[in-house]
Amino acid sequence: MNTVSALAVSQLTKTFGTGDLEVAAVRSVDLDVTPGEVVLIMGPSGSGKTTLLLMLGGMLRPTSGSITVAGTDLAATPERRLPKLRAQHFGFVFQDFNLLSALDALENVELAANLAGVHGAPAHRRGTELLERMGLAHRLHHRPDQLSGGEKQRVAIARALANDPPVILADEPTANLDSGMGREVARVLRSLADDDRRAVVIVSHDTRLRDIADRVLWLEDGTFRELDAMAHDPICGMAVETSLDHPHLDRDGTIWYFCSTGCRDEYAARTAEEAAPPGT
Amino acid sequence: MFGRVPVARRMLFAERRRAALAVTGVAVALLLVFVLDGIFAGAIEQVTAYIRTSHADAIVSQQSVRTMHMSNSALAPSDTSRVRAVPEVAWVAPIRYATGIVVTPNDRQLAYVIGYQPGRRGGPHSLVEGREPRDGEAVIDRVAADGLGVRIGGRVQVLGRPFRVAGLSSGTTSITNTIVFITYRDFGRVRGSAVSYIFVGARPGTSPDALRDALAAAVPDSTVQTRSEFVRREASIVRDMSADTMQIMTFVALVIALAVIALLLFTTTLAHIRDYGIVKAIGGSPSQLARSVLVQALWAVALALALAVLLALGLASLINRFSDNIAIVIEPASVVRVAVGASVVAAIGALLPVWRIARVDPAAAFRSAA
Repeated sequence: MNTVSALAVSQLTKTFGTGDLEVAAVRSVDLDVTPGEVVLIMGPSGSGKTTLLLMLGGMLRPTSGSITVAGTDLAATPERRLPKLRAQHFGFVFQDFNLLSALDALENVELAANLAGVHGAPAHRRGTELLERMGLAHRLHHRPDQLSGGEKQRVAIARALANDPPVILADEPTANLDSGMGREVARVLRSLADDDRRAVVIVSHDTRLRDIADRVLWLEDGTFRELDAMAHDPICGMAVETSLDHPHLDRDGTIWYFCSTGCRDEYAARTAEEAAPPGT
Repeated sequence: MFGRVPVARRMLFAERRRAALAVTGVAVALLLVFVLDGIFAGAIEQVTAYIRTSHADAIVSQQSVRTMHMSNSALAPSDTSRVRAVPEVAWVAPIRYATGIVVTPNDRQLAYVIGYQPGRRGGPHSLVEGREPRDGEAVIDRVAADGLGVRIGGRVQVLGRPFRVAGLSSGTTSITNTIVFITYRDFGRVRGSAVSYIFVGARPGTSPDALRDALAAAVPDSTVQTRSEFVRREASIVRDMSADTMQIMTFVALVIALAVIALLLFTTTLAHIRDYGIVKAIGGSPSQLARSVLVQALWAVALALALAVLLALGLASLINRFSDNIAIVIEPASVVRVAVGASVVAAIGALLPVWRIARVDPAAAFRSAA
């Protein structure tokens, strides 16, 4: 384990089912995230990204391995102590923003502070400061249904910071945002690492987030793969393994790799059309 | 309840119409308990009114007879003079008493018939019209007179004998019967010379308890009680007679309240089940979430209780104004009893939502709501 790691994961494995039905969602994953670092975890659907994120956040018990944050191994921590650890050491940013609809923006942020043990005026002050930092000083008492998608996600980020956590875990933070809002949220996440020295782990399909990441990890079949050794599907842009076991196509001596046979067939049709002489 | 942010209250009142309807439903159920309690308390007040307003410091009755209601008392003729001879006694008023029926050509009503000596204690507390009876005359309650369709100068039959109505009293008709006053002599002529009860006043400086003890020593073959003891016994007889009915009705009302509270809490919980998952994900513990549901339950009960008390007071005021023989008395003790019962009901109603929330997976927050 790296001594300066904000989050250290060692030989993390999660299997579901038993016997013939046993499925390994995450296999022997190692990961160190240092303060100030943004790690982007990408991968196809069903690759184990969400399972990994849930384990990192103490919401899912690993089958084996360790997850160490602030000197505590989450995997070995009794279930009843996990809520307090989550409240004190993690900030969560969700795909659907997940603000409590009955509370206004400030109360949503204050609630997270309350859960971390900060109450009353200090919690109120902290909430106000964070929302001001997110450029939402004029939206403190607006309910989620009165906010735009970008504003909701900024409130969610403020909430994730309410407990001053060393680690931010973000699940598809830009998925429900237009490109402008997505860029803004990406910039904010980067600033959390640069300005606050927080470790930021993002799980996403959004390739735009590669621009703010210090490291991009590709998770497939439950294990990390070297992204540099991967090709990009020319149709959907997804990173795919350069293996002849995957759908691929040889065009003029160049081998193209695809995420699916659908993308491969579409590419084949498109290139055949372009190659056909005019009038045919 | 998560410290300062009132999450429970916000969730409960997020859907105001649902909360208002449910609170009203609980309030109506609690109102039923208040009204039953109020009628019961009113009935006790009516039934004990004659004794309470008698000014007697002690009451002597036949041995082992401790009430007038549902009782028959007969004292030895010599007992009155034995009582009068006790040094602590200031005044003595023997009365004769029987249960009977007061009859007019139009109607009839169950009555307690009291024979007393006009001009002395033991008669009607308040005469609102006419005068005390002479031989051959009766004083009946104003409310009973209205019901029987009789006025002063009218004729009624009491204990099978005709009497002319000489006066109208007030405060002596209850939900079940009325009191008719005739002269001590008339009563004796109809039912014999036995004395039923002796009302006794204490000399200045003598407490009711001391008077009771002195009388008990002087008339050992009788029962002597202070006025408050006698009232308590009368009340307990009424209470014992109605207890089963009251308990069943109260139980039914509380079950209705329980059903409404449970429904409100469960629907509120289901409406916010994802929110609970989110709170769990960001560090809310199961006990904090359970407290949140309990706070919602207490809010619902507190509001329903306040509304029910207001409605009960309003209803009592209306009924007391427009009905002469039904009295509703909302006592603070009744409010406390209902509050405790409703709190227990609220706690029970919260059990299912708490159990449901305990099963919420915090990982659900990571699943798309779409």
